[in-house]
Amino acid sequence: MNKIFLFALVLLLAACGAPDKEEVTIYTHRHYDVDQQIFEDFEEETGIHVNVVKASADELIERLQSEGDQSPADLLMTVDAGRLVRAADAGLLQPITSETVTSTIPEKLRANDNSWVGLTKRARIIVYSPERVNPENLSTYEGLMDSTWNDRLLIRSSGNIYNQSLMASVIANLGEETARAWASGVVENFARTPSGNDRDQVKAILAGEGDLAVINTYYLGLLLNSSDQQEAQAGEAVKIFWPNQNDRGAHINVSGVGLTANAPNAENAVRLIEFLISKEVQELYASANFEYPANPNAAVSDQLKSWGEFKEDDLALNRLGELNDEAVTIFDEVGWP
Amino acid sequence: MKNFTKNIIRDTSAWSVATLALVLVLAIPYLAFASGLLEGTGHKWQHLTTYFLNKFFVNSIILILGVGFISCLIGIGTAWVVSRYQFWGRTVLSTLLYLPLAIPTYIMAYIYVGLLGYGGTTTKLGQWLGIDTVGYNIMNIYGLIWVLSLSLFPYVYAAARASFSKRPAALLETATLLGASERKYFYSVALPMAKPAIIGGLLLVCMEVLNDYGAAKYFGINTFTTGIFRSWTALRDLQSAVYLAGLLIAFAIVVTLVIRLARGRKSFASEHDSGAKPERISVKGYKHFLVFCIAFLPVLFGLILPIVQLLMWVIPSFDGDSFQRNLVISLQSFSLAAVAGILTVIMSVALLYFSRWNRLPIIKKLPNVSTVGYAIPGAMIGIALFSGGRQLVDFAAESFDWRIGYLIYGGIPILLYAYVFRFLAVAYYPIEATRLRIGTQLAEAAYTLGDKKLKALRRVELPILKPALWAGFLLVFIDTLKELPLTLILKPYDVNTLAIVAYTYADEEQMTKAALPALMLVSLVGLFSFVAMWWQKRASQKTEQ
Repeated sequence: MNKIFLFALVLLLAACGAPDKEEVTIYTHRHYDVDQQIFEDFEEETGIHVNVVKASADELIERLQSEGDQSPADLLMTVDAGRLVRAADAGLLQPITSETVTSTIPEKLRANDNSWVGLTKRARIIVYSPERVNPENLSTYEGLMDSTWNDRLLIRSSGNIYNQSLMASVIANLGEETARAWASGVVENFARTPSGNDRDQVKAILAGEGDLAVINTYYLGLLLNSSDQQEAQAGEAVKIFWPNQNDRGAHINVSGVGLTANAPNAENAVRLIEFLISKEVQELYASANFEYPANPNAAVSDQLKSWGEFKEDDLALNRLGELNDEAVTIFDEVGWP
Repeated sequence: MKNFTKNIIRDTSAWSVATLALVLVLAIPYLAFASGLLEGTGHKWQHLTTYFLNKFFVNSIILILGVGFISCLIGIGTAWVVSRYQFWGRTVLSTLLYLPLAIPTYIMAYIYVGLLGYGGTTTKLGQWLGIDTVGYNIMNIYGLIWVLSLSLFPYVYAAARASFSKRPAALLETATLLGASERKYFYSVALPMAKPAIIGGLLLVCMEVLNDYGAAKYFGINTFTTGIFRSWTALRDLQSAVYLAGLLIAFAIVVTLVIRLARGRKSFASEHDSGAKPERISVKGYKHFLVFCIAFLPVLFGLILPIVQLLMWVIPSFDGDSFQRNLVISLQSFSLAAVAGILTVIMSVALLYFSRWNRLPIIKKLPNVSTVGYAIPGAMIGIALFSGGRQLVDFAAESFDWRIGYLIYGGIPILLYAYVFRFLAVAYYPIEATRLRIGTQLAEAAYTLGDKKLKALRRVELPILKPALWAGFLLVFIDTLKELPLTLILKPYDVNTLAIVAYTYADEEQMTKAALPALMLVSLVGLFSFVAMWWQKRASQKTEQ
């Protein structure tokens, strides 16, 4: 027994020891391989070590709040603007002072006080089976409540942040009453009770369980380029439709990063942000993860080019965070699981 | 009243104090929790009760009944067959039956969608055979019952098997002499004797069901735990989330009480419990095949098919770099889980025996309270520990100007404490069941021979408890390896676990990448189970000599 104890102790000590060095600590909800690669590139270029804590944005925000002024975190990275707004509202972020950031990233993709900045854009779009759906019948998100789509529409559950942001954008653009009517119309048209993730919705189209689905663009990119042949096949079985092109534009959200209020390594943190919005890194996001770069100078990858240009909804992103509560409330009221 | 106080003073011993101290240490998250409850419900409580509360109760009850029933059916059936009959592949299958436990429930959910879902393995197989199959949608409550049962039944199996294989030969002889049939022996002797252990296993299954988050969320089923997360994250109402967790704990306590009532107060002690085991029955012909199937099918559905599916994801996208990275993570996972397992077993034994040695009735019951931690969602424990830890950090900063944040936030000790808190029940119940079965005569004999309590424990009781200690350790070890939300919140940066890596990929819908760490997790548990069993076997052979 004693030996086991000693062994355990040694392991513990080995796990605890951390050498003093230039570092930056990032709390992130982005769980992509490309991020790891980007951090390693940053380390190589600057010699600054990047500590990464991965968890969901809500857990990370809670953790930041508990840690208060003794938090080791320098940066908070999320996959939606809403959570960044929430962190900023809770006083967990501070303005990023960087000429590079303000001159590179368009104003609408940043917080008013620059406490967070968008890194990549994702559009929430309609995909459909070209055999069973005539794209002329497709028009807008609002059009999805039309009875044409009865028992044909696939979309994931309302617990998902991407759906919450879409709903927030509908509320912001059309008002609460219209948004509620829209949601209950969409619920009427469900092909099945919402389950699974965005990829599962596309597969369900291939299987014929529904004819059209609402998903994020980059999931389609990941499907089409999957090492799993069946996934690629599911991706090829659908076509993209950009909604609301004749009015406000397709709903977009950003994955972004905020500088924490008590960042112990603020200088290194800003250097990392500047690195992340550089043209090279932005192009990597586009080619490896099929996200649209926030830096307008970065070229989009061939895959993204093949989907064509589209009009974006110019709604201020902080509205997505502000209206999140209301969005969820409406989902529950209309019975969108 | 005077007598009452006097009795208390008379009966209080160092053991009472020690028990109380341990229970209090383990009560820190409850205290943080209780202070949360005192603040009242949050602003969305009305909303939650209107739209969800019914669903939470109904779904949770359906899941508990469904998963509990199927787990018992599979767990008891397989345990009986492997401990009573001799058949082809028995030794291997009896070990493999533990292993579905190595597959986290949410991974099992993704695996079954991959196996049966649209464009999944069934479809591919169909295409290969020239049959047009599109797959089958299992993302509903029945699918969830199936998936949860498959990865949780080993709890019942482990408990039942430990009990069945310990049944003394003398009892069987007596039963046979009295003319009892095999069936009668099972229902009247073996099953009642195994009941405390089985109930312990069943309790673990129920707590796991209540605690499941990933699988229920993926299938779109509203349960208490998904509700807690919804209220906390989507509705931004931590206060109501705390209340929901409070309700969940109350629900878990009711479930515990109901199941414990079923167990009754009996403890079975046999003077002839000398370890003499009856011969296994050899069966021939179709019966042999039947018995084999009972043991094999759960292995097929709970282990072999899932591994095949994982391999089908891993092989096309395999690369050496990620293998190497995962190897390092395996080592970290292993160390964390091993230390957590040892600590939890020590804590269980201490609680069980300190409370028994003390003479205050109320203290005797106290340790059961500590085991409810199993029903609290890991994420809530994490948050409770953070808010409790924050008060400590603030206190240190204000009073002594010490900055101890780095010890609390993302430190190994707090993570280990959280594991012990969360998984105490897992080690506690099997050890308690065996202790009940041993009874107290042996220890009392040792006392009359002049042994002090601790010495008697070490010399007499621990050796008998050894299989239960191993079982407890193994279960905590496996649970820690699989643990997700707590580890996510509390872990230090440089530490990663296979479960976390698998989850983060699965969460981002990249199953082909999640498959490698998941597979390594299963392999690690498998390898360790085999080593542990071999070790145990050798140890028991040594004692026999």
